[in-house]
Amino acid sequence: MSITSPTSANDAILVADDIGVRFETNEGPVIAVDDVSFKVRPGEFLSVIGPSGCGKSTLFNVIGGLLSHHQGVVTVAGETISGPHKSIGMVFQEESTFPWRTVVDNVAFPLELIGMPKAKRIEKARHFIKMVGLDGFENRYPGELSGGMRQRVSLARTLASEPKILLMDEPFAALDEQTRLLLGDKVLQIQQELKQTTLLITHNITEAVQMSDRILVMTYRPGKVKRIVDIDLARPRTSEIVTSEPFGRYVAKIWADLREEASRGMKDEESQALHHQGPSS
Amino acid sequence: MTQDPAATLRIGPVGLLRVAIMLVLLTVWELLAHSGWLYRDVVPSLLAISRALLDLLSGRDYYFHLGVTAAEILAALGIGGFCGMIVGIALGANPFLSNAFESLLYYLGPTPKIIFFPIMIMWFGVGPESKVALGTLSCFFPVALSVAAGMRGIDRVLIRVGNSFRANSWQMVTKIYLPAMRHPIINGVRLGLGVALIGTLLAETKLSNKGIGFLIINAYSTFDMPRMYANLIVLFVLAIGANALVGRFGGLHTIKRL
Amino acid sequence: MSARGASVIPPNIGDYMSALLGVFSLVLFFLMIEALVQTGVINRFIIPAPSEVIGSFWRVIREENVLGRFLLTASECLTAGVMLTVFGIAGGVLMHRFKLLQQACETWVAAMASAPIVLMYPLFLVIFGRSAWTIIMMGFIAALPPVILKTIEGISSTRKVLVNVGRSFNLTATQQFWKILFPAALPTIFVGLRLGLIFALINIVGVEFLINFGGLGQLINELAERYDLAGTYAAICFVILVSIVFFMALEKAERWLRPVE
Repeated sequence: MSITSPTSANDAILVADDIGVRFETNEGPVIAVDDVSFKVRPGEFLSVIGPSGCGKSTLFNVIGGLLSHHQGVVTVAGETISGPHKSIGMVFQEESTFPWRTVVDNVAFPLELIGMPKAKRIEKARHFIKMVGLDGFENRYPGELSGGMRQRVSLARTLASEPKILLMDEPFAALDEQTRLLLGDKVLQIQQELKQTTLLITHNITEAVQMSDRILVMTYRPGKVKRIVDIDLARPRTSEIVTSEPFGRYVAKIWADLREEASRGMKDEESQALHHQGPSS
Repeated sequence: MTQDPAATLRIGPVGLLRVAIMLVLLTVWELLAHSGWLYRDVVPSLLAISRALLDLLSGRDYYFHLGVTAAEILAALGIGGFCGMIVGIALGANPFLSNAFESLLYYLGPTPKIIFFPIMIMWFGVGPESKVALGTLSCFFPVALSVAAGMRGIDRVLIRVGNSFRANSWQMVTKIYLPAMRHPIINGVRLGLGVALIGTLLAETKLSNKGIGFLIINAYSTFDMPRMYANLIVLFVLAIGANALVGRFGGLHTIKRL
Repeated sequence: MSARGASVIPPNIGDYMSALLGVFSLVLFFLMIEALVQTGVINRFIIPAPSEVIGSFWRVIREENVLGRFLLTASECLTAGVMLTVFGIAGGVLMHRFKLLQQACETWVAAMASAPIVLMYPLFLVIFGRSAWTIIMMGFIAALPPVILKTIEGISSTRKVLVNVGRSFNLTATQQFWKILFPAALPTIFVGLRLGLIFALINIVGVEFLINFGGLGQLINELAERYDLAGTYAAICFVILVSIVFFMALEKAERWLRPVE
């Protein structure tokens, strides 16, 4: 099942149009993101990949509505984003489970906020806990779980709010490679089952190619869209695919682009450190 | 120290040492009491103190006074703690306000609040209200400062989670800020309890006809030293107990912090 | 997340503005009180006009020998402070040295920290009479627990690797203590001393007030008993000022004595 390029804006559920973000710092204005535009189709898995400093986390915050000080417009199903939108669910990079709530209370959190009655929200929460493979752990506290399990709780929590678009910022960055691959499988599985539109921010090429229908490669600061790559690998995919030849070719292609940007980034940081003459803050 | 009694009684060396220390102290005390070195009754015999203790706890009067003081302290903690929490949340959430006002609290905090008592009497009269007022003033500062620091110490990502789910302000405060701050809050309350206790009781010793503080100063003024010691002993036991209780209560709230 | 800030206002002006807000609010507050008293909304026998209070500052300083009283309170604090340093640190060291003692007594000391020791002042009055010693001893005893506890904490929490360095050089127990454990513990010990001094000051001024003897604390009590309302408020302001200055000086001293955090 190959994905062809979108034919019209009407097909897209998320449209980012000419996004630009500028920060005022002590060293003067910094353009984090510049002229970024793309569309996401319903049910699609799009990854945004780039070197450190390419502004991808900034983009994450813009789309999630947590950063309103920006140029350009983001629309979801026609509505403009001006703050956190109910159609967008966010999964953060850092540990974000509430340590004082049990797993089931964590996952039921978004349902609690909208006033769903207790019995119903517990039932729903259990459904999503099962989906991420944590059934049996409902009444444990996050402190009793491993890092990977906690990220699954965060994922279940976001899924419980049943967003049209799942927006994830390097959710597996803190995990080891093997856990990451297996969790990637799980996420793919869930995404296929729910036909969930997903936008994944990552710096990990393997992860991006493993999971995505399309990959958006960003340049180093100021972050622009360097290239959009269609990933034409058969679905359903599992982690075994990482050793296949087509997979390797995609990785090589993307790495060629990324490497250029990453080198630029490194040189830039070295020259900055040189000019500051001391440990940079 | 012989080994066998310890083994059979199952008291470890720590327990034994504690018992030994207590015995030594009590023996020294009793010797002083009977030696006549110090002015009569500054160190009353343990028997006299025990008798006074018994009298104190078996009479109905004591519990009336205890009730008065406890009510004053609870009221002070309630009002002062509540205000402290509100102010603490406001200051912790807003760096601008914090820069403007927090140093005020920080430097006013260590001032002995008892010096404000004459003013409290002017405003609230000589009854329990002035004691409550002083206790409130005392415990406001540690609670506000603890809560403000606690707000700033909240893991930022948890706030972003709340925002990403579009929680309104009330939900943010009750479901995220307060639970995330449970440790600083409990510590602030412990500190607040301690100073509210001191403030209220000192006010009672200064000017009152009710309450534990009154009983203490009353015993002093009639030079009934055994009774004063008895009062002090019970007071200390209760104060230490209350502090431990709050601490334990705070601990039960968390199962394994992350 | 990016380390770069996204501030719209340059940092410096923001700080000034908030400090300004603080000062401005205070001034506004006092002006309001002034207005309310002058127009009679607030009874001037319950709350005197701030202008009156400021006016009595000089009178109080001159007539009540504020300087002398300040020195008396300060000397009481100093005495208590010296006693605290000697006995508090010694106590902590002893308790660390004799583990059994620490295990037996540390919780007792911690419990004393939460007990209202200052309420024993009538007892101290009987023992030491209405003198400076009552005040000093109260300050000393009430402030002892934090010094002892922090001393123990400081010595116990010396990083294991430093202890091992000492052992690798075959230091005797005494050398180990004076050359490694104690210097490493100094920052924490200073935190304890600072806490102790603050407790001491609070208790000293408080007891001066209560037993109507001594320096600044007594001044407040006296003025209050004379119904010199403006004077009482002025004296309270003065005590607050002294406590603020004392506290700031302690912070500076601590920052000077503790090198890098």
